[in-house]
Amino acid sequence: MLEAQTLSKQVTTAAGTLTILNEVSLCVKAGDSLAITGSSGSGKSTLLGILAGLDEPSSGQVKLHQHEITALNEERRAKVRADHVGFVFQSFQLLPGLTALENVMMPLELHGVANARGKAEFFLTRVGLNGRLHHYPKQLSGGEQQRVAIARAFASEPDILFADEPTGNLDSETGAHVIDLLFELNREQGTTLVLVTHEQRLAEHCRQRIRLEGGKVIERKPCEAA
Amino acid sequence: MLKSQVLALRLLWRNWRSGEVRILAGSLVLAVAVVSCISVFTDRLESALTAQSHTFLGADRVVRSSQPIPSDWQVLADKYDLRTATKTQFASMVFAGNEMHLAAVKAVSDAYPLVGELTVSQQPFVTDKSLITVAEGGPPAGEAWVDSRLLPLLQIQLGDQIVVGEKPLTATRVIVDEPDRGSSFSAYGARLLMNEADLAATNVIQPGSRIGYGWLVAGDENNLESMLAELAPKLTSHEKVVDVESAQRGLARTLDTARKFLMLSAMISVLLAGVAIAIAARRFANRHVDQVALMKSLGAGCSSIRQLYGIQLLVLGVLASVIGLGLGVLLQEVIASGVSSILPVALAAPRWTSMLPGILTGLVCLVFFVAPPMWHLPTVPPLKILRRELAVNSVSFYWQALLGLLAMVVLVAVFSGDWWLSSSIILAMLALLLLVAVFASILLGLGQRLGRRAGSVWRLALASLQRNSRQSVVQMMVFALALMLLLSLTSLRTTLLQDWKLQLPPETPNHFLLNITPSESPQVAELMEQQNLNVQQLFPMVRARLTHINGEEPSEDIRKQAEMLRREVNLSWSDRLNSDNNVVAGEWWDHWREPGIAGVSVEAGAASDLALELGDDITFDIGGLTLEARVASIRTLKWDSMNPNFYFLLSPGALDEFSPTYLTSVYLPPEKKPFINQLLGRFPTVVVIEMDRVIAQIQAIVAQVSSGVELMLGLVLLGGFFVMWAAVGSSMEDRMQEAALLRALGSSRHRLLGSLWIEFALLGLFSGVMAAAGSEILLLSIQYWVLDIPLSFHWGIWLWGILGSALLVGTLGVLSCRKVISTPPGLMLRELS
Repeated sequence: MLEAQTLSKQVTTAAGTLTILNEVSLCVKAGDSLAITGSSGSGKSTLLGILAGLDEPSSGQVKLHQHEITALNEERRAKVRADHVGFVFQSFQLLPGLTALENVMMPLELHGVANARGKAEFFLTRVGLNGRLHHYPKQLSGGEQQRVAIARAFASEPDILFADEPTGNLDSETGAHVIDLLFELNREQGTTLVLVTHEQRLAEHCRQRIRLEGGKVIERKPCEAA
Repeated sequence: MLKSQVLALRLLWRNWRSGEVRILAGSLVLAVAVVSCISVFTDRLESALTAQSHTFLGADRVVRSSQPIPSDWQVLADKYDLRTATKTQFASMVFAGNEMHLAAVKAVSDAYPLVGELTVSQQPFVTDKSLITVAEGGPPAGEAWVDSRLLPLLQIQLGDQIVVGEKPLTATRVIVDEPDRGSSFSAYGARLLMNEADLAATNVIQPGSRIGYGWLVAGDENNLESMLAELAPKLTSHEKVVDVESAQRGLARTLDTARKFLMLSAMISVLLAGVAIAIAARRFANRHVDQVALMKSLGAGCSSIRQLYGIQLLVLGVLASVIGLGLGVLLQEVIASGVSSILPVALAAPRWTSMLPGILTGLVCLVFFVAPPMWHLPTVPPLKILRRELAVNSVSFYWQALLGLLAMVVLVAVFSGDWWLSSSIILAMLALLLLVAVFASILLGLGQRLGRRAGSVWRLALASLQRNSRQSVVQMMVFALALMLLLSLTSLRTTLLQDWKLQLPPETPNHFLLNITPSESPQVAELMEQQNLNVQQLFPMVRARLTHINGEEPSEDIRKQAEMLRREVNLSWSDRLNSDNNVVAGEWWDHWREPGIAGVSVEAGAASDLALELGDDITFDIGGLTLEARVASIRTLKWDSMNPNFYFLLSPGALDEFSPTYLTSVYLPPEKKPFINQLLGRFPTVVVIEMDRVIAQIQAIVAQVSSGVELMLGLVLLGGFFVMWAAVGSSMEDRMQEAALLRALGSSRHRLLGSLWIEFALLGLFSGVMAAAGSEILLLSIQYWVLDIPLSFHWGIWLWGILGSALLVGTLGVLSCRKVISTPPGLMLRELS
């Protein structure tokens, strides 16, 4: 489903060239889950961005669902994302002017999915928010907002879901609920899951785990070669 | 409909509901509404006033002649499908029994008047409108319609006979008003209107009689022009085509100034709306960066984002334009219905062409003000969803400003039809903005230094201004620009209204008394004093014919251009210069020293027609006697001031031996109107010219144009408010974030409010100072170059501009931030994040 080979990312700053990722390779099979852990500034989010086709590496290749996305331009990468990718973000990224229902409907409408409303209602009910369909994000708690974001991600039935610190803005109890929900839906839909986290508890839910430090993979579990 | 279009419409509706496009839409609607309203209303007003002015002529054009109108002209009029009428005017004694009086006789054809209404009544001196009727034409043959005052003067009643020359006519109606009453000064005395079929039987017209003939023409403007072009070669020196412009110079000037003012209002409202739109669009774009990043991360491509936003903007633009247009047309209808009671003619129906500027405004605003700040949205990198600090390549502020300026020049030029004027106004504003930017930076620096020594609330406010210095400078530029335009327009309107009132002040002389003999003049003056009437100077008057210039007969060229050589002119003398006269060359009598010869001061237009220069000698023939005079000065004067004025004013005493008659003008309030009969009863040879109806008509039009101007000002003020609101709103999120943090850290509500108020009031104060200075310069320039009215300094804008600005901006700022004071800080911070 997802394969990365010798990914490197350098940026030029006033102080010189900075290496953010250094020859990272990994492979995730369909339906599998991968946790990318590491301290702040270790390159986790940069790696996630490149894997999801939001960013380009300085060198290396990424193959996502048979598409070598590192060889595509942004317009075609967008098409790949539209067809195969879903996201859950640390800061939820709900649009403040839209209700919970409209937030979930948005990607469906964007992709021209028929009966976007019905589908969005189904997934919001699935995450336990059937009573909150017409609430705006500011009227929801942090946990509820993240559940809306999860509903949005799964509603478009992606092949692979990328989650960036999905519990980073939540207290531990709410975070635990969100984790349970995420993996439950993941199992139900057979989605491949790649998540970035610094929470050990969350990482342990994933079958594969890699730990980054200074842009390099310093630990890989289970220890199979990429 | 395609799915993307449906989605775009849904997004637009959601954006509208969340309030994100409201200022943008409001400003667009306002721009289109104001421009449509002004454009449609002025178009209707201009057509109506042109039509109204035509009633001063009783036709669209009049050919005046001292010779009978050739019959072949009618063939020409028929060819162009024009309506015609004829009138013949002369002064004649009319008789009834033993009584007689000098009347201004007008014999008209059946079709008279072609334009305007001839109103008559069965009762003399009627004031009750129900007793007044509109005549469908002139009097039938055998009848005479007369001014009310002719009845007591001749001691008759309606139904009695009046004899004009040798023709007895029955007086059947009194004339209440006739459309072309004011158009001729040559026919003095009370009016007698008769049918031209009776004219020959009067036997009044003899060789040498002083008769004025008029050929009235009306119809399609293009046909009129074509006919006149064909007629032109046939016209002799006796004939002259009179149009509205030449008939009503004073009114034409007022209307032209009003049109220019309304145009300036439209320009300013477009400028203000443009600024408001640009600010709102920029804010909209900034708020949508995250949304676009999210949509792109979810797989929306650059082209689909462009399409989504393009459709939203297009729909928003079209909707706002349609609503603005509808609102504008409705608004002008409200003004129109408000003023229709004073308008003597009905307003023309709105024309589609007059709506084009409004629609154009909507389109131009959309392309030049809304699109540039949003142009970069499709290029927002999707990675921004993960890395908020990522920079977005937006169209540079300078390009946006340049495009905006370009749009303004185009719009302003379209409205004014004057590229020079529009470019110079835009350049002046650009200069002002640069100056404001420099001064604002200096003021902020000064403020910071002062703030260090100030109390904590002030320190907080000044520190906030300094911290957001770039934003503060931009805000000051916008406030100063909006305020400058508003102050200028408000002040200009006051100046204009005063200027118009001065043109025809309430007690403008509305009656001229002529033909007063030297022996009568003290008694006339005494009689008027008894009535507490404010008598103007009594001017001696002698009729003369100009025969020689520098001892030679005027050349053929001069004869062609100087119409006065073909008739007698009135000479007068005066030792003092009337206030509406202005010597532009030579000396007035107190400095003129040429012993042995009379001096003459010549009106500038006449001097130009006669090719006269200072020191030239001119010879007049006064009833067979000769008078030589040397040109001592050239004067300009206002013919429309309603004061007695003369082409030739001689030095004191120069006319003593020529037995002059006297002329004066007086203001008679309506209730003293019967005084004319008392005067004429005692001095039957005195001639009275009544101008009161003409003046009242002009004053009504000025009043109506003034109320139009006031309404426009109201709309422009609304535009200014939008700009201020948009500008305050543009920095609101940052300021609210800071305020919420300060609240969370324990700052009291009172202290926070005080600091916010000071911060915005200072912004307003600084902007007010710069706006007042800019406005003063702009006003003086407009007065001098555009409106051609006397220069005057404007104290009010300094006082009210600065104070008002501080109060307004301060209040707007606090009102916009009030939520942060009333909401618990924790909740506020969460909402803002």
